[in-house]
Parts: sequence; C-alpha cells; structure tokens
Amino acid sequence: MADRVERLTNLLALLLETRRPLTLHEIASELESQYPDAGQARRAAFERDKAALREIGVKISTETFGGDRAGEMGYRIERSSFELPDLGLTDDEVRALQVALAATRPDSVIGEEALLKLGGVGGGVGGPIRMHLPELPALPILRSAVAQRHPVSFRYSGNVRKVEPWGLLLRDGFWYAVGFDQNRGARRTFRVDRCEGEVAIDSAVVFEPPADGDLGAALPTNPLLLGDEVAAEREAVVHISARRGWLVEREIGSERILVRHDDGSITIRLPFTNEDALRSWVLGFLDDAELLEPADVRDRLIEWLKAAV
Amino acid sequence: MAQRPATERLRRLLIILPWLMERGEVSVDEAAERFSVGVDDLIRDLELVSMCGLPPYVDEMIDVFIDEGMIFVGIPRLFTRPLRLSEVEAFELLAAGRAAMQLPGADPDGALARGLGKIAMGLGEDDMGLLVVAPTSEIVQELSQVIENRQRVEVRYQSSKDVAPTDRLLEPFVVFSSQGNWYTHAHDVSSDGLRTFRIDRIESLSVIGQAENEAPDSMPEPGIWFADADIERVKLRVAPRGRWMYERYPVDEVSPPDADGWVEVRLAVTSHQWLERLLLRLGDAVEVVDPTSMRVARSEAAARVLGRYSVKR
Repeated sequence: MADRVERLTNLLALLLETRRPLTLHEIASELESQYPDAGQARRAAFERDKAALREIGVKISTETFGGDRAGEMGYRIERSSFELPDLGLTDDEVRALQVALAATRPDSVIGEEALLKLGGVGGGVGGPIRMHLPELPALPILRSAVAQRHPVSFRYSGNVRKVEPWGLLLRDGFWYAVGFDQNRGARRTFRVDRCEGEVAIDSAVVFEPPADGDLGAALPTNPLLLGDEVAAEREAVVHISARRGWLVEREIGSERILVRHDDGSITIRLPFTNEDALRSWVLGFLDDAELLEPADVRDRLIEWLKAAV
Repeated sequence: MAQRPATERLRRLLIILPWLMERGEVSVDEAAERFSVGVDDLIRDLELVSMCGLPPYVDEMIDVFIDEGMIFVGIPRLFTRPLRLSEVEAFELLAAGRAAMQLPGADPDGALARGLGKIAMGLGEDDMGLLVVAPTSEIVQELSQVIENRQRVEVRYQSSKDVAPTDRLLEPFVVFSSQGNWYTHAHDVSSDGLRTFRIDRIESLSVIGQAENEAPDSMPEPGIWFADADIERVKLRVAPRGRWMYERYPVDEVSPPDADGWVEVRLAVTSHQWLERLLLRLGDAVEVVDPTSMRVARSEAAARVLGRYSVKR
C-alpha cells in the first residue's frame, strides 16, 4: 500500500489547485487508484483523510451542488485560508516570542512548530523570570471564541451552558472563562478545567461585547469573588493571629483591616461571593485564623470541622 | 521501526517545504536539526513528496532532490508558504506572550508586544481574548533585580515548618510562578545548596553584597520541581468533590476511581503543616491512607482549630 503521506499530499495539492469544488467521484478519478473503487470503502477512506487534514489545521470548504447534481457535495481548499499571510515579524520579535515560550511553556511541541512557521526556532532557555502556564484542551477553542465573539456551549456541573465568552483569565494558577450565561441571563465565571467534554463553538452567531467595552474591567480578579454560581457579594470578618498578620496584610492591603489588636493580631473584612473559596482561605491558616462573620457561614464552617474530626 | 503517524509527518513537511524553497539549497543535516527530525526520516519524506503530483504529471509539483547530503529545490509552485497558525498554535503563542508580558521587567512597547500585535492582526483579530493576571509583589520585582545584578541577600523567611520567621542568606538564580504562587530557586548559604523558597513568605529582604556561587547548569523547570525524590510522600483517599486537590497540586499518581468515585492519590508533602491545611480544606472528602502514623492528622488538626471556635470572644 502506498504511503498515506503521499495520498494526503496529493489530495491537498488537488484541492488547492482546483478552480471549482470537486466531487468525491472526481477526486478519486484524478488521484488514479489511490482510493478504493467500492463506494462505501472509498467514502470511508476519504472521510479519514479529511479528518487527518483537519487535524493538521487544513480547512476544506464544502459546497452542496444544485441543479442536475443536486445533493452532491463538492470539496476544495481556499488558498487564502490555507497559507499563512506574511505577518511582517522582525527577527527580534520572533526571538522575543521564543524567549516568552521558553519562559512559560518550555516543552511545548506545538509552540515550537508555531515558531518554525514564523521563521524562528524552538527551544532555548528562559530568562531568570519564568511562569508556568497550565495547559487545558478547551483553552484554544475558547480563546478563538472570545477573539471572534462567537457563543460557546459546554457541560458544566452536569448542565449544558450556553455562554458568550468575554475573556479568559489566568489567576492563581487557574484559567477562568468569564462571560454572559444565556441560560441564567447574567454574567458568570467558569473554571475552564471544570468544563466537561468538548466545547462547541457557534460560528454562525456573533455576539455583542459588554457595553462598557473594557473586558479587563469586567473580569473579577479576586479569587474569593470567583465561582460559577455567583450570588450577591457578602462581607466576611476574620480574625488573624499576630504571626500571620503581616502575610495577610500584604495579600489584601491595609485598607481591609478593621481592628489592630494590642497583641499584634488583626481583624479584617473581606468581600466574597464564593463560600467554598472563603472557607478554604480561612482554613489555610489553621488555628491562626477564625471566621467571625457572617454567622451562617461560621456555623457551616464549624460543622465542616466537626465532620473532619 | 515504528513510523511516526502520517499527520505528524505531513504537518512537519508543510513547515519544512516553504523554508527549503526560500533557501533553494541547504544541507540535510542543517534542515534535520532545525526541524528536530531524523536525517533518514527527512530524506525519506522529501523523496516521497517529490514523487507526489497530479495527472498528467507534466510538471513537478514539489521539485526537490537530494544529492550528497544536500537538498536542492527547484522552482516552487505549491506549498510556498507555511500553513496558517492553527487555533492551538495561536493560543500557545499568544498565551505565552501575554504571560511573559506580565513578568517583571517586560517592556510594554518592546519586541514581544509588537510581535503579539502582528500575530493578532494576522489572525484577523483585534482582541486576543486573554488576560493573564499574575500579581507580582514588590519582592518579586526586587528579586529579579537581585538576580540581574548577581547579588546576595538576607531575607526574613517564614517557612511552613518554623513557628516564627528566620533570617537566611540567599543567592537567588531564578524566580518563577507556578500554580498561582511565586517561588525562587536560590543558593541557600547556611545549608550550602540549591533550595526553593516561596516568595510570599519572605517578610523582608536586603542586599548585602555580591553573589559568590554560580548558577547550576540545570535548574528544576517550573512545574516539575516537586518531583524531588527526597520529599516525603503521603497517600490519600479522595472523594469526587475533592477532585480540585489533585487537579491543583502536583501529584505522583492518581488511581482509577473505585465504585463510589473515590481515588487514591500519592503526592509530595513539604511539611506537616502543609498537609494539615490540605486535609482541613478537604474536610470529610479525604482520608490519609499512608503512612499510617498520619491517619490521625486530619482529626487532630480539625479538633485544634475547632478549639478556637469554642472560645467566646
């Protein structure tokens, strides 16, 4: 059997060169004897090839014929959707991208290939300042959807959510998608790693961005304010012992300090919407922190601890 | 020998061919090295595509031949430009670039910013759709400066083991952010070795002179430094609602779920306090399996913290 790369290359060349869409029958006769003769086997082999080309990023446009060929499908590849336009990147810009990848995604094969396409090389060592970027399969499609303003749908906490994504936010080591949840009719924040299965993009629809236009401002940056079921914002009051006080003050800022006690400990107020995140934050201090208010959240925290004894 | 999948070979070829066509003539070794492919694989794949074409085969579609270790490319007709950036590649570049833009010392109008702008424009997008928020404290900024100047610093450091902060002499080599926290790999003068410190636990820092130790040739990469075999391991049983824990922290292994969805997770534990914090945050969604001496850790910690809540204030 001929090497599959050969048939794929020939198919690619044919669909790029043709001036009009070709039917599977025409494709098979052009690529003499490279596809099986039997209809069903031929269709299956062609579908596999289409999927392989799609996997490497080649978009095959499909057209349904009318007239006396009604119902037949025609295929071709638009050269403009195939070729990378000249981006006009200078050498130092390509090198800066290489350094950025080395500092954030040192082992990314995909990043290396992208650099090679742009005329650079992969590899290299990041500088003394680095950030590890978590990787999730849903991120690329979500980013495209944000940039092109297409709604997406995905399963989340057991339900299908339809969302107009406004932006992706990396905070505290987690990627979040923020957008307008069409089912709930309100803004919602989703942990991208909690999206279940595939994210579907609705390319036929373009949504309006939020009215204030500033996506950055629309994204909450405080982890205590993130969560998929965003209730009204509430305020917690927490007592922090002296030996952790300075850490907390640095994290939340001195304007959140309600009382500075004589023993060096502090009482602080914290806005929150996500009770789980608040409980986790408080328990992270072990016996160096005590949640004082709200009373209902304090009661639930005590129950939580009793269950853990 | 097992062949690489056809899609992977074709994808690489479509990157290699335009580059070759621009050169016209290049050695096999140079091309193989640049594109990280084996010499034999490269020759085989180039010879294969040189035979590709369409009926009636009057002109060669891809005019490539190889002779004495050199690749020669004739007048190109097809595959003269690389394939457009895929969705995944675009994400990779833009996310890396946006993240690097927020590292201390990044120039908002520098080459990286200009490059990212051109890529977004090439994709036909005016908004990258990404926001990377990695708040860097003043200490991170100061440490980056210290690394650049190759200096030794004295820090007041609150380790998770010690009750009170202690003073240490450090010569930092790298600062990095992983899972939302900033760390530094530094030479620790008192223990005379490479150690990792959490930057948010540095209370204060002062420069006290020039560094005396060279950075080691290889530094643990962000994300894998927990792989250090010296760190103690525990095995936990975790309920489905505690899933965030093994998504969040670097773990050695996660077993397949049992009938109720619980899994066994093995992970590195840097200190007993760290383990206690983790156990309390998981509540009754976690049990310690191993070592057996730690099985009481959750209930001991919970009882101690509960003690705070029973005192009237």
